[in-house]
Amino acid sequence: MSDNKTPDINRRKFLSGVSAAAAGTAALATPRVSLEAAQSKAPRWVMVMDLRRCIGCRACTVACKSENNVSLGRFRAVIQEKTMGSFPNTKKAFLPLMCNHCEGNEKDGVPPCVKACPEFPGKRAKFKTADGKTIRYRTGATYKRPDGMILIDKEKCIGCGKCIDACPYGVRSFDPFVKAGGDPSKQAADKCDLCAHRVDNGVEPSCVNTCQGRARIFGDLNDPNSEVSKLVKAHNLAKADNVLLADEGTNPHVFYIDPDNILKSLYTKRKKGKLDHFVDQIP
Amino acid sequence: MKKLNRRDFMKLTAGSGCALAAGLGSSQSAFAGSLKLQAGGKDFSPATGKERQAIPTACWQCVTRDSMIGYVEDGRLVKLEGHPDSIRTLGKLCAKGQAGINQVYFPDRILHPMKRVGKRGEHKWKRVSWDEALDLIVSKLKPLRDAGTPELFMYQYGRHKASQAATMYDFMQAYGTGTIGNHTSVCEAAKWVGQESLWGGMYDNWDYDNTDYVVIFGSNQFETHTNHIPTSQRLIRAKVDRGVPLYVFDVRLTNTAAKADQWVPIKVGHDGLVMLAMCNVIMNEKLYRKDHFKFMRVTADYKASVADKITAVTNNVAKYTPEFAEKHSGVPADTIRNIARGFAKAKSACLVTYRGTVMHYHGADQERAAMLLSAITNNLDRPGGRVMGVGAGWKSPSSPRAKVHKTLHVKDGFPGEAAYPTHHVSHQVLPLIKDGHAGRPKVYWWSCYNPGFINGDNKELQAIMQDESIIPFLISTTIVYDESSQYADLILPDVTYLERWDWEDMVSANQIAEFYIRQPLVKPLGESRCQGDVWPELAKRMGFELAYSSKEDFVRQSCEMTPGVREAGGFEYMKKHGVWHDPDAKPNYGFYETKVDISGDGVILDDKTGVYWNWKKAGVDSQAQAKSQGYLNTKGAKKAYIAQNIDGTAYLAYPPNTKFVKAGYLDFYSDNFANKGLPAFPTYTPIPEHQKMADDELNLTTYKVAVHTHSRTAHCKWLTEIKHDNPGWINTKTAAARGIKNGDKIKVYNDMGEITTTAYVTEGIIPGVIAISHHLGRKHSGVYGSGQTSPTSGGAAADPDVKNIWWKKHGTHPNTIIPNASDPISGTQRWMDTVVRVAKV
Repeated sequence: MSDNKTPDINRRKFLSGVSAAAAGTAALATPRVSLEAAQSKAPRWVMVMDLRRCIGCRACTVACKSENNVSLGRFRAVIQEKTMGSFPNTKKAFLPLMCNHCEGNEKDGVPPCVKACPEFPGKRAKFKTADGKTIRYRTGATYKRPDGMILIDKEKCIGCGKCIDACPYGVRSFDPFVKAGGDPSKQAADKCDLCAHRVDNGVEPSCVNTCQGRARIFGDLNDPNSEVSKLVKAHNLAKADNVLLADEGTNPHVFYIDPDNILKSLYTKRKKGKLDHFVDQIP
Repeated sequence: MKKLNRRDFMKLTAGSGCALAAGLGSSQSAFAGSLKLQAGGKDFSPATGKERQAIPTACWQCVTRDSMIGYVEDGRLVKLEGHPDSIRTLGKLCAKGQAGINQVYFPDRILHPMKRVGKRGEHKWKRVSWDEALDLIVSKLKPLRDAGTPELFMYQYGRHKASQAATMYDFMQAYGTGTIGNHTSVCEAAKWVGQESLWGGMYDNWDYDNTDYVVIFGSNQFETHTNHIPTSQRLIRAKVDRGVPLYVFDVRLTNTAAKADQWVPIKVGHDGLVMLAMCNVIMNEKLYRKDHFKFMRVTADYKASVADKITAVTNNVAKYTPEFAEKHSGVPADTIRNIARGFAKAKSACLVTYRGTVMHYHGADQERAAMLLSAITNNLDRPGGRVMGVGAGWKSPSSPRAKVHKTLHVKDGFPGEAAYPTHHVSHQVLPLIKDGHAGRPKVYWWSCYNPGFINGDNKELQAIMQDESIIPFLISTTIVYDESSQYADLILPDVTYLERWDWEDMVSANQIAEFYIRQPLVKPLGESRCQGDVWPELAKRMGFELAYSSKEDFVRQSCEMTPGVREAGGFEYMKKHGVWHDPDAKPNYGFYETKVDISGDGVILDDKTGVYWNWKKAGVDSQAQAKSQGYLNTKGAKKAYIAQNIDGTAYLAYPPNTKFVKAGYLDFYSDNFANKGLPAFPTYTPIPEHQKMADDELNLTTYKVAVHTHSRTAHCKWLTEIKHDNPGWINTKTAAARGIKNGDKIKVYNDMGEITTTAYVTEGIIPGVIAISHHLGRKHSGVYGSGQTSPTSGGAAADPDVKNIWWKKHGTHPNTIIPNASDPISGTQRWMDTVVRVAKV
């Protein structure tokens, strides 16, 4: 693959400083850009979903339930499936969905869920890289860490549900098991956190661990030698066709290898105010 | 990804691994991209960040039995994942395996022995102590043994494998009963019987790591399989990484068919015919490979030349032209030709079959057709082909055999029902007991089995269990109150597989045996007790001793007895590492080509068959007598088989090892079959019921989805949440002809009765069929499985998730309208032959 910028690349070429307070952050969306902006040593965690390899087995769905003790009635990861075409030339395809760990729009680099959080921007925090550098950023009940993870601090969450409404992908829900620390009369918001508790300890997310098709590839987009960087480059994934709802300007960081155009033909969007698109069901 | 040395994984978990700055919260450090993540082998609490305790063990949700790691946090099992050091699973685990935790902690779990106090089926129970329960059992079993009628104690199991089976069989042998039932006839017995008639053994594996071409009939490997995780991940990898062509013949657009180069819809019961038509193309176009013909027998003549055999096979399949096959199967002749050519021309190719192919009238013969197609293309036990499965061969202790050892003949179906029930006819056990001509047991004890749900005509089987005049005493060992244990006189609380010891031996996908164990991840909940711990206790109370004192002791002794495992460090090594394989082992292919030494004392050549056999081992009085009666006419001769003489060389070839008396050839011409009036050569035999179907009748087929086993996962909340209703899949045209629209309530009915469900109208199924998955419609399976709490006195700590149940449907059970009918060859339950009508309600 060439290093030529795709038509969309400029749209993505923004400073990903999580907030104005962030210093020196440049966790950017493409390998090419990240090479140019090598002053930061923070990783940029991303997921590549190789749809050729997803067999719709639901091991990821259940592994996530177990790893994160996700209550019934909601999911952090799901598979959508759809049967298309006419007999006997019928096709069926699978589409794994999760939080897109968006970079945020071009102007401010703040994803819609973070923007909607009344507790953001909160306290300043420091992110230490492995080589000892410090990156400062702003926390909130929902916030973006310099390594690209969109996280929820349930102690700070006030259970207002604004982030749940704001997410165009509809991947957030209230956790009936955990009270909102900021308002214990309410439940905290919850969603995929890329298994931060595993990643921070050097282990891949649980859904990646159990994916028998190896359809889920997780890694650091800021490392040009990582498998995800190579895949993003080889399959030219940093463009609107290979992410969900590119028009929303959220700059999602879950990339799909999708030679059969499954994203276009299959993806069922959330209906406003509803989350039933994000319930994993086998027909 | 850093490629971790697999053997190093447990060292890492022991704490010597990468020390990474870690933790949750905003101000803690992470690390840069220069450090690679490891795939697994460690897990941490999302709440506290604390590392969880990692214990290697093995799954049991299905028979695949993946080795895995269990993670424990504050004494509670919280997570399971694939064992990263396993050469079978390569660190992967399926959805069912991931939900294993639900087996331990579902809220209706039976945790204490319970004695019936009402009438059978009244759901009235009294909690009793284990002491009382065991005394009660002894009061029933000891008199039978003392009276010299141990066979009147019948035991039947659904899943007992490896040491769970070995400990049970050991106890039963020491007690004296051979009246032991299994469940294989409702699984795939026809497949094994078809194989045993040919290559002697059974359990085929497909060498996906090396194959160049894959054709699957009636097997949904990407969702469910007896060796799912080891095989399915290798298949999708072969497909995507190496571009291996994949063709899937199925009535339904399964996930496997969805990922294939082509889904080839096929009418129910015609897999064997299409395979024979593929043979026809290959023989006529001379695309066969000669290599395997010398090991094949295709006519009555044992001494036919390869050229003669090629002519004979060509003639035998001549009538199965692609056009003939198209007419009956609905598969276009050109599709058959193209796939046949691709299959034959590929350097190596796998022909895969399973329940869709064999759970039929003459299902065993369909499997023989699959073997024929593999043999003529030289894809049997060759790299990249259909190979003989390789599993671990454990040694284990055995107890003294009882002086009186007898069997009640209720295991193999009604007289004349099945010619070769080598895996028994388990669905007819209760009907045969009711019939009574072969006698009735006084005590019937079942474990890890739900006969009143999983067999055909399951309501009738429940009625048999309910009737105290048929079997006076019923014992059920189970973790969940279900459709069968509701009629028991005594319920014993089983442990889950996550609370017990076992050695395990399931087949590898890479032809190298893996030895692995299961060990408890948490203490057994409540008073639940492993059957392997109950046997020695029962024996003691009846006045005899077993060779082991507990299941753990049995596993310990086995580890110290088994070559390889013993030298690696025995029980302590296995506890720490969970898995072991011989690092010097080479993948096992081509066993049939082994050249055998025939110089042993008593070894003679049988003139008729060319078999070298040991007449002394066969128990014949003299060599002269052995010579005169010959190998085939000597009872016990197959145990004395040494080799097959092929063109002057003594090959191991394909020795007999079941009820089939045969020479060392692949018996595509089978005297065993011919003598019983069955097709001697693989043949297309139409399914009788399908020949007289009325225009408005449909075939009913059943299937599994990715998130359920047949009967042991409905109470697993994470699985049932994803699949709790089972609508009937019906083709758009078939539905339209009945005025049925997607989502309509429909009834499915025949002479057996009627079930109701909703219609899933889809282009993903062949017309003329209604397909309903078979794991739902539970009357009893706890609150998650059936919607109602079990009437048990036990119950684990209430699961706070119960209040989050959101689904109201619990599906329907198709077995209610499927009769218990057997393949006359193998005794397999003919799940896929049922005829029904469907109407909008």
